[in-house]
Amino acid sequence: MTFAKSILLYLFIAGLTVSSGTQVQAHPMESTNAGFVQSVDGPAPGPFLYLGAKHMVTGYDHLLFLVGVIFFLYRLKDVVLYVSLFTLGHSLTLLIGVLADVSVNAYIIDAIIGLSVVYKGFENIQGFERVFKIRPDTRVAVLVFGLFHGLGLATKLQEFTVSQNGLVANILSFNVGVEIGQILALVGVVALLGYWRTRPSFASYSFATNTALMTGGFVLAGIQLIGFVLFT
Amino acid sequence: MPVTEPLSAPSPVKILGASAVALLTAAVLLFGAILPAEYGIDPLGTGRLLGLLALGQAQPIANEADEYRVDRTELSLYPAEWVEYFYRLEEGSNMVFTWNATGPVTYNFHASPDGAPAGYAESFDAQDRQDGHGTYTAPFSGIHGWYWENVGTEEITITLTTAGFYTSAEEGRARAAGYKNLTDIRGNPVPSIP
Repeated sequence: MTFAKSILLYLFIAGLTVSSGTQVQAHPMESTNAGFVQSVDGPAPGPFLYLGAKHMVTGYDHLLFLVGVIFFLYRLKDVVLYVSLFTLGHSLTLLIGVLADVSVNAYIIDAIIGLSVVYKGFENIQGFERVFKIRPDTRVAVLVFGLFHGLGLATKLQEFTVSQNGLVANILSFNVGVEIGQILALVGVVALLGYWRTRPSFASYSFATNTALMTGGFVLAGIQLIGFVLFT
Repeated sequence: MPVTEPLSAPSPVKILGASAVALLTAAVLLFGAILPAEYGIDPLGTGRLLGLLALGQAQPIANEADEYRVDRTELSLYPAEWVEYFYRLEEGSNMVFTWNATGPVTYNFHASPDGAPAGYAESFDAQDRQDGHGTYTAPFSGIHGWYWENVGTEEITITLTTAGFYTSAEEGRARAAGYKNLTDIRGNPVPSIP
């Protein structure tokens, strides 16, 4: 594996993550969906289930973070453990955030979510161990970032005037949808990574891939931070 | 069982170098392309060079092909009489409207696409209301308009004011009771009330 080759691969992966990151809104809840959410008055489990799943499958900040989390998880048991921690975290803040009407600036939350991707990429290239000589507990990090991701979900839902009528049922449906979307996305990611790990190229390219992950995270965080400065 | 090689531990210099490359790449992409395209700011001048600035500018103006019209119509309805009032709009054309009735009415707004079978209509708003104000963007080319029926016991007047880009107005009406073999302007037989 030559140096030039790994640079090319890195640029290619960075290009992929970034080209998917160029939309300002990481979660394009299209105007028709938004219009629907605003017009709903009462429980509508089906649509909210769908919106939650769609949000997860098309939300590449969540997806990049998940790729980072399970990149070096070889055992299914660990995948389940970490994903459960992430789920616990974002379910808590999604429910509490919407029910208690906690709203945080969407730019700040999305910037933190972007930085969570950077964090995971940096951890995956052993940055904390080798540079700072510390070994932060990955489980705690995944749980804490899960809390932030959930706050992001809550903030997104609150941007629309969600009716109080049937709110709990709708938030729960949205949350279940998020988990379904997460499982769908994970199946693909786990399968691809699982296959890739059996190839020699995995060892050679994992450093470049995680550097690209960091790039994607920086781009996401940068878009949101600059958006915060410009529009808040 | 495939063998997965343990990763050789990268040196701190390599890690920091990679982090710097990641940050720099992100900065170049952000300032060079994403900010001009998404936010319309162009710190490096690359947005103008690559023609990305146009992407970042919202287009608040949509030009319309049809002639601009403003109409004000008063429609009188006896009890049990209904009226349909339609405009022809091309797909994507806009109209601003306001109406109110002097008494209780059954109301809906509906539209029939060109070439649809007789009787086919899509209803967009059917609520009990005595007035309505808003904007309408035609989802398809066809006829688009209101249905009002006087459900009270007094004669009422509906005043409709519209402005926008529509080409013709058509009115269809009937008194529900006492008329036979009526059709509305979409070809539907009008049921007579016993």
